Amino acid sequence: MLKYIFKRIMGAIPLLIIISIICFGLIQLAPYDAVDAMTTPNMSEKTIELIKARYGLDQPAYMQYFYWIKGILSGEWGYSIVTHESISHNLSTRIPNTILLVVPAYILALILSIILGLFSGAKKGKLVDKIIDGYSSFGIAIPSFWLAMILVFIFGYSLNLFPILGMHTIGSEGSFPDLLSHIVLPCTVLTLSFLPELVRYVRSSTIGQLSEDYVMVQQAYGAGATSILFRHVLRNVLLPIITIVGMSLPMLVTGAVVTETVFGWPGIGTYFVTAIRGFDYPIVMAIMLLSSSLVIIGNLVSDILYSIVDPRIKGMGE
Amino acid sequence: MGRKNVNILVAMLLSIFLVLAACSSNTKDNANTKNTSEGTNKPDTFVYGIDGDPGNAVNVITTGDRYGLMEIKALYSPLYMYNGKDNVKYFLAESMTPSADFLTYTAKLRKDVKWHDGQPFTADDVVFTYDEMLKEANGGWARSQLIFNNKPVKVEKVDDYTVKFVLPEVSMGAFEAFGNIFIMPKHIYQGETNIANSPKNATPVGTGPYKFKEYKAGESVTFEKNDDYFLGAPKISKVVYRIIMDANTATLALQKGEINSLAIQPADTSKFNNSSNVTLKPYDEGRIGYLAFNLGSKTVQSKELRQAIAFGLNRQEINTASYVSSDFSQPAYSFLPKKATYFTDDVEKYKFDKKKAKDLLAKSGVTAPKLKLAFIANNPIQQKQAAVIQQDLQAVGINVELVGMDATALSKKLQSVQSDFDMYLSGYIMGIDPDTFNSLFVTNGEANYMHYSNAKVDELFNQGRVEKDDAKRKAIYEEIQKIIADDAAFYPLTENKRILAIDSRIKGIDEATLVPVYTFEDMSKLSY
Repeated sequence: MLKYIFKRIMGAIPLLIIISIICFGLIQLAPYDAVDAMTTPNMSEKTIELIKARYGLDQPAYMQYFYWIKGILSGEWGYSIVTHESISHNLSTRIPNTILLVVPAYILALILSIILGLFSGAKKGKLVDKIIDGYSSFGIAIPSFWLAMILVFIFGYSLNLFPILGMHTIGSEGSFPDLLSHIVLPCTVLTLSFLPELVRYVRSSTIGQLSEDYVMVQQAYGAGATSILFRHVLRNVLLPIITIVGMSLPMLVTGAVVTETVFGWPGIGTYFVTAIRGFDYPIVMAIMLLSSSLVIIGNLVSDILYSIVDPRIKGMGE
Repeated sequence: MGRKNVNILVAMLLSIFLVLAACSSNTKDNANTKNTSEGTNKPDTFVYGIDGDPGNAVNVITTGDRYGLMEIKALYSPLYMYNGKDNVKYFLAESMTPSADFLTYTAKLRKDVKWHDGQPFTADDVVFTYDEMLKEANGGWARSQLIFNNKPVKVEKVDDYTVKFVLPEVSMGAFEAFGNIFIMPKHIYQGETNIANSPKNATPVGTGPYKFKEYKAGESVTFEKNDDYFLGAPKISKVVYRIIMDANTATLALQKGEINSLAIQPADTSKFNNSSNVTLKPYDEGRIGYLAFNLGSKTVQSKELRQAIAFGLNRQEINTASYVSSDFSQPAYSFLPKKATYFTDDVEKYKFDKKKAKDLLAKSGVTAPKLKLAFIANNPIQQKQAAVIQQDLQAVGINVELVGMDATALSKKLQSVQSDFDMYLSGYIMGIDPDTFNSLFVTNGEANYMHYSNAKVDELFNQGRVEKDDAKRKAIYEEIQKIIADDAAFYPLTENKRILAIDSRIKGIDEATLVPVYTFEDMSKLSY
């Protein structure tokens, strides 16, 4: 087992290095000079040379790559060209906000989707299934910003049940109930937008499992449909879910870009959108690097988890 | 058996929904009590919605964006604000008097001013600020207006409360150029080599009506009142600039009362027409919105062609389409806004005339021209202007291709000589004295994005800058306005207003005074 895990980790490292080289290459190709983030247009040539030397920007590209990697690893992600602020500092205040929004929404979507998916898979073709499946197809097609605006209008404005802006009411920053009331709407939007895909996944997986031999054996032994569904089918359905959960790791960073923008949630999404609008390459690149690394790490984690849950897997690779 | 299992499932689902419902009804209650308590207790906080993030590095030297400057206006004070020839509002200075030869200006400073950290404000801070502004390495926004014919102004301390500005040569725009510069504390910034990136910017210390309390990235900037403010303690104890990127959310938040103030688009004004909670305050920023030709492109070199286009455009229609009503926009004919000194509308107005346009087009010798018009793609005003322009010109036989661009990308393009487009839509807010407009029109001027060059205009701008006689200056600037209109490289469309929608409970807006860029000249005068 350890050998397998070790092998997988070793396999992921070159991928991460390749990602970092691609990102660095794109930064080099981007129409800006990294030194622009630290200088002002009126600085003298000499001052700029000094700054370049201090950050190693006068070195050849491959040396710059190592400086850059060293910076990334030590948490020095560079500066925004527009606001001249430290990117790592900004990211560290914003990522927790995004996580606070995405994680509850994702867990809620996961639980709901397992229930709805199992239910609709077990009742394939019946009315319940048609409703749930119909909702999923419909839900996939709904753009989240539209859904967000509708919810804001109905629950935030017309019924005036929830606040629609940001994370806190001004003046009650520390209050948990206040935070909770701010979270409800964006969290609902996110849950509803994560849900359809997961439901369809669980549903088709359930249908697949129900036609397996072991189900027939259980039925022959006289086990009830519920007990088969929850004792046996659920366990097998959950296995591929691990992969899905692992793969969605990058959502911690980019999962709520649109929703955050609509609700003015101070997370990565609004930061990312502002950076794109302002051609703030260093920030765009930092977020690209972060989310692409998370794709690889997520894959790695789900592979490892999978091999722990289902030890047959690691044999297949060999 | 099957039925029993269904029952169990249904029961499970029900229980889950019950739990969820319980949770959400709880939060609903919370939200309700929250909102009502907000309604009654609020009048100590003023929340202003903004659609950009000013960042946490505002400083008086390099900050130049609208929201950064709004933050600076709350935190710092200038010597005085120049709002027009007879409209100078003094802050840190009690007076500013020129000598008889107009080569020396003397500022008398207030003696009762303290920095937010309790240190006294003196002439040293003023000298320090102007010196830092003049240092090339700092990249200060006002540096070029403090340089006169390649020689910088000299700022000297006479005593603790008197400062002397010594000009290298006479400049009639100098009085305006020295104003609107905010003073920073010497005891904080002394020895700082990189002001733009200084960590000190995160905890600004000023002399303004509000003290800096907290900046939350992407969320808000919070200020609390400065009880020692030299023009009297502010009446509202807390001011918050709340960052809301989505315009629809922002408008709803204003309707709902989550924010108290917001600048809105003309098309959104109808939402507030019958509102008793929100008042609309359109105000003049001296902004000219225009269509200009990119003279870096070969296609538009012919003056007849440009004039043909000017006659082919229906200014009235373009403005109505983009600004809805004449309450928010007036047609502009000169490059100067109405409140600028020496403004005249006695220039060629290019009254909409299809026949003239066609004749001039034939005369220009350009057959079936195809022109590219660049504008900011996500700007709702420019979208409409561009669409009407395209139609108008189609009618006189000129094909226009619309090139929607990102704002930053367009401004980058404009700064270089290129031929990616032939015309573009834009706008500017400059100063009061016509000299502040020279960088837009003189050959190789910093903001001369048209790449316009007319030797006569260059010469007149230079004369106007040093002419002491008021009548002669007037003649000079009126002539410039005529020449620029005749050259037809610059087609002013509108002098538009900014529409501030504000909570009807807020009083003292007239005393606080609505001004360009900063919104309020003195926020301490606002009250509930």
